[in-house]
Amino acid sequence: MEKLRVLGEFFFSQIQGKPIYDHQGRLVGKLRDLAIRWEGDTPRVTGIKYARGIQKHIPVEQLAHIHVTHIDLRHELKEETLAPLQPDEIYIGKWLMDKQIIDLKGSKVVRVNDIKLFWLQSRDQQHLVLNAVDIGWRGLARRLGVEFLFRRLENHLVWWEFIQHPEDKTGSLRLRQEKQHLDQLHPADLAEIIEDLDYKKRADFIEDLDVEVAAEAFAEMELDIQIEILEHMDSQQASDLLEEMPPDEAADLLAELPEEKSDELLNLMEPEEAQEVRELMVYEEGTAGSLMTPEYIALSPDITAAEAIRQLRTLAAKAETIYYLYVLQEDETLIGALSLRELIIAEPDTKLEDLMQTRILSVSPHESDREVAEIVNKYKLLAIPVVDDNLKMLGIITVDDVLEMLVPDRGSLDTFASLFVRKRAMK
Amino acid sequence: MGPGIITSNVDNDAGGITTYSVAGATLGYKILWVFLPMIVALVVIQEMCTRMGAVTGKGLADLIRERFGVRITFYAMVGLLLGNLGNIMSEFAGVAASMELFGVSKYLSLPLAALFIWWLVLRWSYKVVERVFLAACLIYFSYIISGYLARPDWGEVAIALVVPSFSFDSSYLVILVGVIGTTIAPWMQFYIQSAVVEKGITVKDYAYTKYDVIVGSIMVNLVAVFIVICCAATLHPHGIKVDSAKEAALGLTPLAGAWASTLFAIGLLNASLFSASILPLSTAYFICEAFGIEAGIDKSWGEAPAFYWLYTILIVVGAGFVLIPDMPLIKVMFWSQVVNGVMLPFVLIFMLLLINNEDLMGKYVNTRTFNIIAWVTVAIMIVLTLLMLVTAIFQF
Repeated sequence: MEKLRVLGEFFFSQIQGKPIYDHQGRLVGKLRDLAIRWEGDTPRVTGIKYARGIQKHIPVEQLAHIHVTHIDLRHELKEETLAPLQPDEIYIGKWLMDKQIIDLKGSKVVRVNDIKLFWLQSRDQQHLVLNAVDIGWRGLARRLGVEFLFRRLENHLVWWEFIQHPEDKTGSLRLRQEKQHLDQLHPADLAEIIEDLDYKKRADFIEDLDVEVAAEAFAEMELDIQIEILEHMDSQQASDLLEEMPPDEAADLLAELPEEKSDELLNLMEPEEAQEVRELMVYEEGTAGSLMTPEYIALSPDITAAEAIRQLRTLAAKAETIYYLYVLQEDETLIGALSLRELIIAEPDTKLEDLMQTRILSVSPHESDREVAEIVNKYKLLAIPVVDDNLKMLGIITVDDVLEMLVPDRGSLDTFASLFVRKRAMK
Repeated sequence: MGPGIITSNVDNDAGGITTYSVAGATLGYKILWVFLPMIVALVVIQEMCTRMGAVTGKGLADLIRERFGVRITFYAMVGLLLGNLGNIMSEFAGVAASMELFGVSKYLSLPLAALFIWWLVLRWSYKVVERVFLAACLIYFSYIISGYLARPDWGEVAIALVVPSFSFDSSYLVILVGVIGTTIAPWMQFYIQSAVVEKGITVKDYAYTKYDVIVGSIMVNLVAVFIVICCAATLHPHGIKVDSAKEAALGLTPLAGAWASTLFAIGLLNASLFSASILPLSTAYFICEAFGIEAGIDKSWGEAPAFYWLYTILIVVGAGFVLIPDMPLIKVMFWSQVVNGVMLPFVLIFMLLLINNEDLMGKYVNTRTFNIIAWVTVAIMIVLTLLMLVTAIFQF
C-alpha cells in the first residue's frame, strides 16, 4: 500500500473561479470546472477547465500548489500539453454539483450542496481526489457566500465511497452500500430494505445479491411480499432462491402460489431438494407437518461418540439445528436423542446407544401448531422431532419456527443511519 | 387527464375573477378578443412544462437547480415563496369575501376552509385529490350559467371575440395589461410540471397530456369570457363600476337576478378554495425540489415531512393573515403581484433554455417553428407583465 500524504483539503466552491498562475506568476485563466474520471471508489480529477470557450484542459499533473485563493502551475502553459474531455470523464461543476441524491429505496434525500476535494501526495505523484459530498446547510450557505453566518454548524458529509456511479449525466446520484457491505448486513435488516423497495426494484435488487444471502433475507420477509417477489422474478432464479431456503419455508411459500407456478418452480429445482419440499407440501397449514424441516442430524446407534463428532462436522452445515442429535435405526425409526453437550462431554469410545436418551418428546405431523408451541414452551426445547404412528422420523420443528408463529411482526430499524457521518469542520 | 385542466383552472382564481369582473364592468365586450390569443399563449407555455416533466421525470425547480446552480435557484425560490404567500393570502381573502356573500363570518369560514383543504391533501392519495380538483373545475361552469342568465347580446359577443379593438385610453390599457398579466403566473409552471412528474406521466403517454393542456386552456378562457360577458351585459350598460368580485356579485342581483348572483358567488368561493389548496402545494413542491427533499401527495408525512410542513405552514399563515383585523391586505397583494411579475421573466427564460437543452431533452427539444412561437409568446408575456408592474406601481 503506497503511503499518502494530505497536502490540502478544500471544497469545490472555494476554488471555483479562483485565478490560475504559471511558474512565473502570469495569469493563465480561472478555474472554471474540473474534469474527473470515475475509477473505483474515489473519482479523481484529471484536468482543469480554465477559460470559457476553450474545450481543452490543463492536466492535473501540471499543478504545483492549490491555495484557497489561487492555483499555481509548475510550468508555462503550452498548447500541446492540454487535453480535451475524454468520453469517460465528466465535469463536476456542470454535472455533479446540485445533483439529486437518492437513497437505496429511491427516496430523495438531498442535493449535492458542495464537493470536498483532497489533494494527496503519493510517493512520486500528486492526486486531486473527490473525497466527500457536502449535503448540509453549511455547504449550502458556503455556496451562497454566507458561510460566516453558519460557522457553528457542522459540515454534513457523505463519503464518496457511499455514492454510486451515475448511469448518465442527467441521472441522480444513488447512495449505496457496497455489495459486500450488503452481504454483511443481518438478513433481517436486509429483508427490511428489500421490503421497502417498490416491487419493480425488488427483483433487480435480489438478483444483485449473492444467492445464499438473498435466500436468508428472503426467508425473513412477510409471506405476501415473498409471493409477490417470486411472481415477478425470473423462474430459474426463483427456483435457485427456493433451493437455498429451508425446505419447510419453501414449502409454505410454494403452497401459496398458484399450482401451475409452484409446479414450474419445483421442476426447475434440484430433484433432491424438490422432493423434500414436495413431501412437506402435503401437510396442511397450521399443522406440525407444515412447520417441520427434514434438515436434522441423524446418527446411527452403533457409532462411537468420537465418530459422531467427526460425522457432525460434515452434517452440521446443512442442518437447521445441531444442538439436538437424533439416533435413528436403519428404517428411520427414532429410538433416541442426545444433546450436543452430552456428546461432547462423553468418553470418545462410548457408543451412542449407551449415551442417548430413550424417553423422547415428539409430535405427530397432524398436531396443531398451537399444541407444538405449547410443548416447546413448556419443556423449553430448542427443537422437537416429528414422527408418524410407527415412530418413523419425519423431521424436526425448531424453536424459531414456533417463535415466528407466535411473534409474526418485527419493529423497523433504520438501516441507513450508518451511512451518514457528521464531521467536525476542518480548516 | 388532470394536471393541465387543474393548472389552467386555478388561473381563474380570486384575483383573476376580480380582474375579469372589473374588465367586463368597465370596458364591456371590448376586451373579449384577447382571450383567443391567450389560449395559444397558455397552451404553448404549459405544453413545454408538461413535456419537460414527462421527458426528464423532474420538476422545474429540480431542473433549474441542476442547470443554473444553487445561487440563482435560492434567490428565485425566496422570491417565488414570497410572491406565492401573498397570492395564498389573496385566495383566502376570496374565500372570506364569497362566504360573507352568504352571510358567514370569516372567523368561521376561514378556519374551516383551511382545515378542509389541509385535510384533503394530507389524508388522500394523489389520485383522489386530483379527482376532487377536477370536480372543482366543473363548478367553474356556474360562471357560464351566470353569464347566460345575464342575457347578453350574443351577436355583439361573437364580433367582440374575434375583432380586436384597441384604444390608447389609459384605463383601457391598465385593464388589458391586467387581464393578460394574470393569465400566466410563475407558480403554474412549477405546479404543472411537478404534477406531471408525480403522476408518473412518461413520454409514452405524453400525447394525452397535450390534449389535457389544450382542453384546460380552452376551458379556463371560456370561463373568463363568461365572467366578462356577465359583467359586461349587466353592470357595464348601467355604468356601475366595481373594484372587486364581491361587489360584482352584489351588483348582479338587481340586474340579472338572485340566481346569477348566487352562482357568481359560488364560483368565487370554489375558485378561491381551489387555488388556496393548489398554490401552497405548488410552493411546497418547488421548494422541496430545489433542496432535493422528498415531496408529493402520495408520500406519507413520515416520508416527506418537509413537504407537508411547508404546505401546512403556508395554509396557516395564509388564512391566519386574513383573519387578523386591520391587516394591509391590499398592500400585501400588491407586493406579491410585483414579486411575481419580476420572477416571471426569469422563469420563462429558464424554461426556454431548459427545453432546448439536448442533454436533458434529447430529441424532445423544441422544433424551430415552435421555438419561434414560444419565444414570441414569452417576449409578449414579459413585456405585458412588466407593463402591468409599471401601471401597478403608478396606481399605487
